Amino acid sequence: MPERETIYEVLQKRGVTRRDFLKMTILLTGALGLEYSQVERVRVALETKPRVPVIWLEFQDCAGCTESISRSQNPTLTSLVLNDLTIEYHETLMAAAGFQAEGAKEAAMEQYYGEYVLVVEGSIPQGAGGVYCTVGGRTALDILRETAEGAFAVIAVGNCASFGGLPKASPNPTDAVGVMELVTDKPVINIPGCPAIPEAMTNTIAHIIALGSIPELDYLKRPMAFYSHTIHDRCLRRGFYEAGLFADSFGDEGYRKGYCLYKLGCKGPTTYNACSSLKWNGGTSFPVESGHPCLGCSEPNFWDNGGFYQGQSAPLQRPEVSVVGIAAGAGVVLGAGAAALNASAKKKAREQAKAASHQKEEEKEE
Amino acid sequence: MNPSDLMRLARGPLFYFALLFFIAGMLYRLTRVVGFGWKKDLTKPKKSKIAGSLLAFVKSVIIWPFIPRVEGSLKRNLVAYFAGGLFHLALFLVVFLGAAHMLVWKSLLGFGWPTLPLPVVDWLAAAGIVALLVLFINRLVNPVLRTISHAAEYLNLLFVFLPMLTGFFLTHHLLLPYEAMFALHVLSVDWLLIWIPLSRISHFVFYFFSKAIYGAEFARRGAQP
Ligand code: SF4
Repeated sequence: MPERETIYEVLQKRGVTRRDFLKMTILLTGALGLEYSQVERVRVALETKPRVPVIWLEFQDCAGCTESISRSQNPTLTSLVLNDLTIEYHETLMAAAGFQAEGAKEAAMEQYYGEYVLVVEGSIPQGAGGVYCTVGGRTALDILRETAEGAFAVIAVGNCASFGGLPKASPNPTDAVGVMELVTDKPVINIPGCPAIPEAMTNTIAHIIALGSIPELDYLKRPMAFYSHTIHDRCLRRGFYEAGLFADSFGDEGYRKGYCLYKLGCKGPTTYNACSSLKWNGGTSFPVESGHPCLGCSEPNFWDNGGFYQGQSAPLQRPEVSVVGIAAGAGVVLGAGAAALNASAKKKAREQAKAASHQKEEEKEE
Repeated sequence: MNPSDLMRLARGPLFYFALLFFIAGMLYRLTRVVGFGWKKDLTKPKKSKIAGSLLAFVKSVIIWPFIPRVEGSLKRNLVAYFAGGLFHLALFLVVFLGAAHMLVWKSLLGFGWPTLPLPVVDWLAAAGIVALLVLFINRLVNPVLRTISHAAEYLNLLFVFLPMLTGFFLTHHLLLPYEAMFALHVLSVDWLLIWIPLSRISHFVFYFFSKAIYGAEFARRGAQP
């Protein structure tokens, strides 16, 4: 295999000056959430590491995360990730189709064995042997296993690939799961969201490219740089929450005054994501800011975590009236039974007492 | 099991089961007590006994049940009455007028009501926790209370204390991550729902019975046969 060009060499060929390169390094260091002292590390990495190829697979998805990443607003990153990293296979973005595309993927998998980054979008159905999602006649299950084998790391983008998402919603007809349930011998990074925040995706990919390592993750394998705070932690309506000022319904006075959306079902307090700090569309706004309660789309089981407009603290399952009736009936019947036993015991005791006193009297008379 | 799964378990099937157990258990206790029946009264009451019962309730609405008003009992154990009063007041206000709690009621009953600002709820919760601790110490220190207290009494205190403590930690993001504390809070409430029918905490229902019976007694004004 010929020596591969480093990232810096590729950039040089494109006419990027040393000065611009150093600027880019600083920006990238910042974007990765690293301290300024780490600039050197990033520079050395970019100068010595070859471009990391990316294979992007789509399974039970809506391509929303692809839509999202294509709108990444940080131009340096967009150029770095979308131009400078080599995306070898991406069903939505690539021009090729059919056998040629599949062939290209296989070639890349072979050439970059152990090096490429696998990005997965969409959940993987396991039901009926995995036939609910097939590409080129092969099941998603199969393709994932095969492609993950030679990957350096697997990035699951979106809630579906991370935790099963919409396809996994009860009753989960296709027995869908997220990537981490299936790939257990490789580092898996989850970037959940519906869709995932573009910068969270690009920066994580950039981190792997630039540093060749896996970013720090939380217990759900989400990068700490983006998922260490809840929406609620940094929400602009937080002051209203603390003051107990809530919108009670959409469009009421509190709503128009911009009060907290907690009572409209906001899941912000238990949702870890960067929406309230990074925001969307280049920092324009995010759902809670524009008037909709947080749906909790970066958390597991987000479709089954109570209704979207149901209080965040509300129980997930409410017994039906009929079930409550049965429980109540059982209680009453058992109680009545116990009462009847008590009554008969009382009666018996009374009779015994009476009999005893009669006996006494009789004895006396004798 | 991670905090997120634990939270789902606590808010889902465990709560479901605990709630049904609570309903069945309380109705069992209630029916059983009602089944004891009332003693036949052979004397003529001085005033209507029903009116007496009703009056007792009206009084307890105007003078809230947890505020001590009987001078004699005040003298007997000042701490128990004040801490007890404060504890009940705080508990009721937090459970019904905390925003998060109201949403639980709303999801179960289908309607909601206005709530108190967070700092107010927070101070009430803190007061309730302190009051409960004072009650615990009082139980240990007071010779009479200590004699009549057994494991069940201390467990009652503990099982009520746990939801209050986890709830307070939860709002202040103390000790554990929010969702882990949330899970523990709901778990402790699930357990409390099961524990209540089995214990004397069920007094919140029987309270109404004793109110009615004492009210009737006061109206009767006769000597006991
Ligand atoms: S709107 Fe949601 S995230 Fe914002 S303060 Fe209210 S509950 Fe928290």
